[in-house]
Amino acid sequence: MQTLANYLVVHLFGADPATWPWTQVVYAVVMGLIGFALVNFGAITAGIFSWAERRIAARMQSRVGPNRNGPAGFLQWIADAVKLMLKEDLIPGESDHILFRVAPYFVMVGFSCTFVVLPFARHLVATNMDLGLFYVISITALVVVGILVSGWASNSKWSLFGAMRAAAQIVSYEIPGGVALMVPVLITGTLSMQEMIRLQSGIQGNFFTQGGWPWNWNLFHDPAAFACFFIYFTAALAEGNRAPFDLAEAESEIVAGYNTEYSGFRFSVFFLVEWGNVWVMSAIACTAFLGGWGIPGVSNATLDHASGAAAVGLELATLFLFAFKTLSLCFVVIWLRWTLPRIRVDQMMTLCWKYLVPASFAAVVFETVWTLAFARSPGVQLALGVVFFVVAGAIPLWLFAKRTYDNIGATGDVVDLSNW
Amino acid sequence: MQPASEMVSTAKAVANRRKTGFGGYVGNVTNTAKSFWHGMSVTLSYMFRKPITAQYPDRMPVARMAEILPARYRGFLEVDREICTVCKACERACPIGCISIGEVKDPTTRKLAGMDRFDIDIGKCMYCGLCVEPCPTGAIQHTREFEGSVAAFDNLTFRFVPEGTVSPVYKVKKGDGAVMRVELGTITRGILKAWDAPAPPFPPKEAAKPKSAAVVADTGATALTAALIAKALAAKDKPPQLIAVFEEAMAGTDCGDCGYPDCHGYSDGIVMGGDNDPTKCAPGGAETTSNVRQMIVALGRKAVA
Repeated sequence: MQTLANYLVVHLFGADPATWPWTQVVYAVVMGLIGFALVNFGAITAGIFSWAERRIAARMQSRVGPNRNGPAGFLQWIADAVKLMLKEDLIPGESDHILFRVAPYFVMVGFSCTFVVLPFARHLVATNMDLGLFYVISITALVVVGILVSGWASNSKWSLFGAMRAAAQIVSYEIPGGVALMVPVLITGTLSMQEMIRLQSGIQGNFFTQGGWPWNWNLFHDPAAFACFFIYFTAALAEGNRAPFDLAEAESEIVAGYNTEYSGFRFSVFFLVEWGNVWVMSAIACTAFLGGWGIPGVSNATLDHASGAAAVGLELATLFLFAFKTLSLCFVVIWLRWTLPRIRVDQMMTLCWKYLVPASFAAVVFETVWTLAFARSPGVQLALGVVFFVVAGAIPLWLFAKRTYDNIGATGDVVDLSNW
Repeated sequence: MQPASEMVSTAKAVANRRKTGFGGYVGNVTNTAKSFWHGMSVTLSYMFRKPITAQYPDRMPVARMAEILPARYRGFLEVDREICTVCKACERACPIGCISIGEVKDPTTRKLAGMDRFDIDIGKCMYCGLCVEPCPTGAIQHTREFEGSVAAFDNLTFRFVPEGTVSPVYKVKKGDGAVMRVELGTITRGILKAWDAPAPPFPPKEAAKPKSAAVVADTGATALTAALIAKALAAKDKPPQLIAVFEEAMAGTDCGDCGYPDCHGYSDGIVMGGDNDPTKCAPGGAETTSNVRQMIVALGRKAVA
């Protein structure tokens, strides 16, 4: 962020930031603007997800979904946001009023602070923190605090049950999730989000070995990294209280869980965070495993030293690639929700402690050995990456697409994208 | 729908679930992967199919919604008066009382001659379908029509017999399995009023009741009762003839309201089955009840109720 501000001071005011008296003011203004932009980005993404999820869910259930407001019902999320904000903000009489009011802000802060280090493009990041990944994992713990506080303060058994479930779930899944993220850290040797993406660029100098080709991604680095992607993805789903881990809000069992007593704006904050978390978890997975904004065939040197229109073009390309990969993962998250039924509490705990935790530990050990064996021979690693990409990426994707196509024909249907 | 290989893998999954130890552990992991593979391909495949939702009324695959509604959809009622036996079973079945039938009797024979009114207040109808079930000929049915918004509420009263006319009684031919009726929906579509159609006059015109006819009817009724008793006594020892005499006393609509399949069945029940209850013929009303009671008494039995 400071680099961005320095860049602005130098180019807009023609002054050296170190000597200019107004530098601190510029810093403050830029900080405010970036914070405003990021919080709004989170809010708007969450809003659009609420629409996208309903449309996708509808399509998967042979329905149409909201389609009245604007093109394809796109403006529905604005109508819903306005409705939620205009609703009465009810506070139960027997609740702990101060904590009840405060709880949504804990959740909101824990969520929006992750955007500080989340990359969007090559240069578009609020701050390139050296401890980025570590920071993200720790700051999201604030969400648990908010959820616990909301459950406690509501003075409702449903809220308390939901909050306890959420706390148990999030704290449990932070272990496999965090350990799984250590595997890309072992591969790249850095905790910085931007640096991690830069290092997933293979061998510089050849078009097919440099840049963000899939065989340079951490995902296809080795079997342990491949497994860790799924471990992280599962754990992140659980941490975000997304289906099939939405036990904390299991409406068939505990009404709406920790947000049972909330209404209006405070309720919408909880919801915003839940949907916004989909972006956050997808962006982290994209950064750590899917090569982030890396452009296939474009070396790091080209990205660093481009200027003028080329710089803008490359920046937009990285932005597009990152958004595309992240949104694809977001789609998978939504898709999973409409495929899997909600699991039981004991199944949730079993999955975490008996499967994901041991698997993630084993993966870290495996990765250490692997890194020791191949770190000094990037050529061998590249060849293995290509093999893994074909065996674990391309062929399964093709088989899956074929199977999906066959499913359509199996019931006598045809591919038909009309009636939106 | 499910390929055989899938069923095999499901059977394997069940077997694996029962396994314990390391084999079961690994089996659980592979089952998870397999069920994701299968389940997610199914849900994704629906992304590329056409939603079955009909976006009424904007984007319709057909001109009228009624054409694509399920065959058993309960829309507005329709009465085909050509095959109506005027048994009034529907009127009795209606829990709301939105059906009103005006019966016309032959002044001399006292038999049902027809109906001058068959009104259904569809604004009151709750589409329960209880009127459709007892109908012996299927004259009253639910159509798939449902668009009936009108400015004048009285336009929602469907008059299936045009005012001033008498629709004759339909006699079911013995042994007929099914009764043919006009295509469902055509009559109701003809009756449905436009949105801005003027309301009918309120209160509705009452049909003028001829007073002299009532006097004639009274004498006719007494004569009919005497004749029926005489016939019954004459046929006392000949059950087939006696059954025919009792059937003559019934309303003759074969509505089945008595609990027997038709009027012949009820008569048979009285003569052969020892049924001494004369009150079962609902379409015949008090007059038939009185006649049948007197006939039963004349035969030397004791009428109940």
